[in-house]
Amino acid sequence: MNSTMITRAAWLSLAACAPLLAATPPLPAEHLTVTTVPPNDAHRIYVLDEAFSNEIDSRVHLFDGNTYRRLGQIDTGFNPGFNLSPDGKTSVVATTYFARGSRGKRTDVVEFTDNSTLSVTHEIVLPSKRAMTLPTYFNVGYSSDGRFVYVSYVTPAASFGVLDPAKSTVIGEIDTAGCVLVIPSGPNRVSSLCESGKLLTVTLDAQGHEASRAFSDAFFDPDTDPVFVQGVPMTGGYVFISFLGEVHEIDFTGAAPAIKAPWSLVSAAEKGHWRPGGTQMGAIQRHSNKLYVAMHEGGEGSHKDGGSEIWVFDMTSHRRIARWPLAAHKLAHVLALQVSQDDAPLLFAATDHADLAVFDALTGELRHVEKQMGETPWLILTP
Amino acid sequence: MRSIDRLFEKSSRALAQRTSRRSLLAALGQVLTGAALIPLLPIDRSARAATPADGHAKADKAAVDDPKSCDYWKYCAVDGFLCSCCGGSANSCPPGTTPSPITWIGTCHNPSDQRDYIVSYNDCCGKVSCGNCECNRNEREKPMYRPSRNNDLNWCMANADSNYHCSVSVILGVAEK
Repeated sequence: MNSTMITRAAWLSLAACAPLLAATPPLPAEHLTVTTVPPNDAHRIYVLDEAFSNEIDSRVHLFDGNTYRRLGQIDTGFNPGFNLSPDGKTSVVATTYFARGSRGKRTDVVEFTDNSTLSVTHEIVLPSKRAMTLPTYFNVGYSSDGRFVYVSYVTPAASFGVLDPAKSTVIGEIDTAGCVLVIPSGPNRVSSLCESGKLLTVTLDAQGHEASRAFSDAFFDPDTDPVFVQGVPMTGGYVFISFLGEVHEIDFTGAAPAIKAPWSLVSAAEKGHWRPGGTQMGAIQRHSNKLYVAMHEGGEGSHKDGGSEIWVFDMTSHRRIARWPLAAHKLAHVLALQVSQDDAPLLFAATDHADLAVFDALTGELRHVEKQMGETPWLILTP
Repeated sequence: MRSIDRLFEKSSRALAQRTSRRSLLAALGQVLTGAALIPLLPIDRSARAATPADGHAKADKAAVDDPKSCDYWKYCAVDGFLCSCCGGSANSCPPGTTPSPITWIGTCHNPSDQRDYIVSYNDCCGKVSCGNCECNRNEREKPMYRPSRNNDLNWCMANADSNYHCSVSVILGVAEK
């Protein structure tokens, strides 16, 4: 077919369609708008993407577990800490910026984002001491009444900052004698994990200054079986899981942490072969009292490996009630787990291929796989 | 080195202002502040040296000797990008970056000479993540409450420019038997 024939064919086709085109009304003019964030929902999650290969550009994705839609984004700078206010209405980001993008003067700052608009409402500039490390619940956090925000500092000397989010001020800094991270409890207590296997608990006065401090007894051995710093929230406290699968439940409701006798995720035969691991290896559904843990087969040094299976435990009987292998769903190993706290709970699992899997938390049925939830989704929070 | 001295002096003064003498000494023992100090520390961790049977899967011989492979024997506690894939080498930072004066350490087994070596893992700082040859091995790595053994901390934290680029592995000496 030469070019003349092609031209004729094109004109004939256009002529045949012309009546149809004329009968179709034109699209109306559009108005450019900004989408609003839907009201908070138990199935909403906040997924922190560390963006490890471009670490100055980390971000939090809001994702709806009902519609499987992304709802928006919060920018979180370099190597951030992230948390939510007790009422879930505010996101708090502790992060660092460099004046020239990847270089230049360092500014450490805590930023507050209104979760109904995803706009930054205010910020508090910190001394350049913020702990730059993996995201956990304990890099930055609120007191239970929202009066104070605590920020972990490591220079590498360890301490924490006490902030007043209402007045946008730094109240002060409290040395922690080498103990790290901020585990808030009640309106005025902050605990930190110590190399001795103890917890340091600092009690603040009404102004946010140190009133007293106390150490717990040692509850783990950092040489033989250290606990992950990624504590898992439970009713009234946190669970700390050890590298070999011991579960340390700590009640933080009293003046001093109450540490229960540990129990094990693994049988004697499994111990040392099956291990918990990842960046957020466990999640607890508080109403059904179930603990979900990412488990893998591996040896010493595999504690950051994701889970090839999710194991489900009854927190009362300490019995394993389910094993959910992920290979059956062609999913990569799971690094981060989170579960919603409603009566129809969803289990969210971020893999080391950056996919986000959504399961029915009661049955283990896979509901959805959201591909490519950022690059390195390492922490998932729920309101 | 002068800047390292200044940094060390500054951080020591800051520590001294906030801590007791005993806790200052404890902190100094735990956090290694530069390669020059490390040989002075009484380290005997040979019993904990990495072996091929540890958590990292057995690697083939060529990879164990290849500084661009995550299986290279010296990388037994690296979690980051290998500087050897970023314009540097196993023990030199890429052009335009600055070594971190503070670091974490590991003890790795060299199968070629059957010796255990104490290795300093320094970060190279001042540029954005290299993004090449990510390596995540954590043999005897500990959580951040034991900072001298922790590779999650950004060890560029005390650099004038604390952006993290990549990690090197520097032999400090043979581990004492």
